[in-house]
Amino acid sequence: MTMDEAAAGADRSGALEAAPPVDSLGFDAALAELQAVVGRLEEGGQPLEEALALYERGVALQEHLERLLADAELRIRRLVERGGGRVDALEGPGPEENG
Amino acid sequence: MSGTERRPSWALPPWDAGQANERARPAVPGAFGLRIFTVAEVTRAIRAAVRADERLRELWVEGEVGRVTISSAGHAYFSLKDAEAQLACVWFRDDRLASPFEVRTGLRIVAHGRIDLYEPTGALQLYVDTVQPAGFGDLALRLEALKAKLAAEGLFDRARKRPLPERPAVVACVTSPVGAVWHDVRTVLARRWPATTVVLSPCLVQGEGAAASIVAALRRIARWREVLLAAGRGEEAPAVTIVARGGGSLEDLWAFNEEAVVRAIVAHPVPVVTGIGHETDVTLADFAADVRAPTPSAAAELVVPDRVEVAAGIAALGRRRDRALASRLAALRRALAEERRVLATLDPRAVLAARRQAVDLLGDRAARAVLARLERDRADVALLERRLRPTLPGRLERTRDHLERSRRSLTVLAGRRLERARAAVSLAGAALAALGPQATLERGFAIVTRARDGVVVRDPVEAPAGSTLRIRVARGAFGATATGSGDGGA
Repeated sequence: MTMDEAAAGADRSGALEAAPPVDSLGFDAALAELQAVVGRLEEGGQPLEEALALYERGVALQEHLERLLADAELRIRRLVERGGGRVDALEGPGPEENG
Repeated sequence: MSGTERRPSWALPPWDAGQANERARPAVPGAFGLRIFTVAEVTRAIRAAVRADERLRELWVEGEVGRVTISSAGHAYFSLKDAEAQLACVWFRDDRLASPFEVRTGLRIVAHGRIDLYEPTGALQLYVDTVQPAGFGDLALRLEALKAKLAAEGLFDRARKRPLPERPAVVACVTSPVGAVWHDVRTVLARRWPATTVVLSPCLVQGEGAAASIVAALRRIARWREVLLAAGRGEEAPAVTIVARGGGSLEDLWAFNEEAVVRAIVAHPVPVVTGIGHETDVTLADFAADVRAPTPSAAAELVVPDRVEVAAGIAALGRRRDRALASRLAALRRALAEERRVLATLDPRAVLAARRQAVDLLGDRAARAVLARLERDRADVALLERRLRPTLPGRLERTRDHLERSRRSLTVLAGRRLERARAAVSLAGAALAALGPQATLERGFAIVTRARDGVVVRDPVEAPAGSTLRIRVARGAFGATATGSGDGGA
């Protein structure tokens, strides 16, 4: 997830109807959107229905973020040189590694 | 032996001979020919002798570093020794921190400084200003020259330093695939921020070819990143690169002082964090890095956030969200309660509605009464008819006709009464509407209330000068301020 995509995620939260499902968001996008949602709720000014929708979205985002953190597991890859200077990333710590 | 006996001048040390006569001291029995000195006198004498020797004022000393003690003030105390002797050395903080090298036990070094006597302990010491590794003399000079050259090019400038990404999804690591460093980096990342991928770009970290291997490992990451960007998979590319190596001698770390490594770090497409050797080891790679960490583990800690802190931040956002909605709802509730209160005291429609209802009830009762009366009248007629029919058949016809007429006129009569009653009810409603405040307001009257408590002002006394008023007219309301009682309630 790049910062641009995270920012785009925050923008999308502007139109709640078009917001993508929370589960499809990466950590940065979800965090950026939660920050945006909280900011808008604190600013106020929107109709009550919209405030309630924002609130519910915020709850879903928080739960999603907490789940991402709890379930996260470090992924390990290693870069290897192929013929012709090609570079490939293999899964796992590599054959030399045993611990 | 008498106390008046003088010592011969040859028995005195040369620095004291001139003063022998003036500074005669009582001779100690059995110590003929020798003066007894105070410790301070002797140490002063030694110091003077040492300082007089030009060879000791500035010199290079090569030896092996013995035990090293760093004081809390930052001064280093150590000994230099060889097979035959050892020499106490002191290296003051400012000189020490300015040096790219640090002294460590067992290291062979060349130290530059002067010899002097430290009177409180009577120790002769080498006061070190600079240190270079022995046998590395040429390399050390080359390193200083290289450092100066690269610094002049601006490669170490603070302005070049790039900020680290806050939460990199992918972290690259340039280090040896074997050994503790790669393991430590993975362990720290897994503990602090497991929501990431670490990509090892393996290399040699010491010995022949290490510098070229490090450069190749950095380039491999750059090439892989380009491939991913070209394929539109930029999110899989490393956002930061760790260059790490465990502790070792200066020679062991030498690859990280090579110009090619420095240039590869500066040219690297993403920020570089170095964690090379121990805290006191500083290489040119460290100068070139965007951030220098003291150790490999510290480098891993620097590149990712702490999961616990981020979780606390998310929880805090959740609390802010809850508070924002709660205060929003509370404000709405307060506004609603206020509206109700104002409506209850001011809105004429509420009063009018209550009166309309009363009118409706009256109208219903009136209609019911008229209908009931009509029914009773009809029943009386029927009864009369039954009683008359058997006795007077002749009159019966007439009576029947009469009754029939009466019944018809009675029905008409009852209908008219009902009509009148309805008209009266309708009139009453209209009259009430006319009497209600809305109609009055339509005629140009106004209802004045105190803004403070909503009390309707009926007497100038209730609106003293300066009180804020709310004036309701037919099509709205506005605020006003009372200016005084005017012409006194005329």
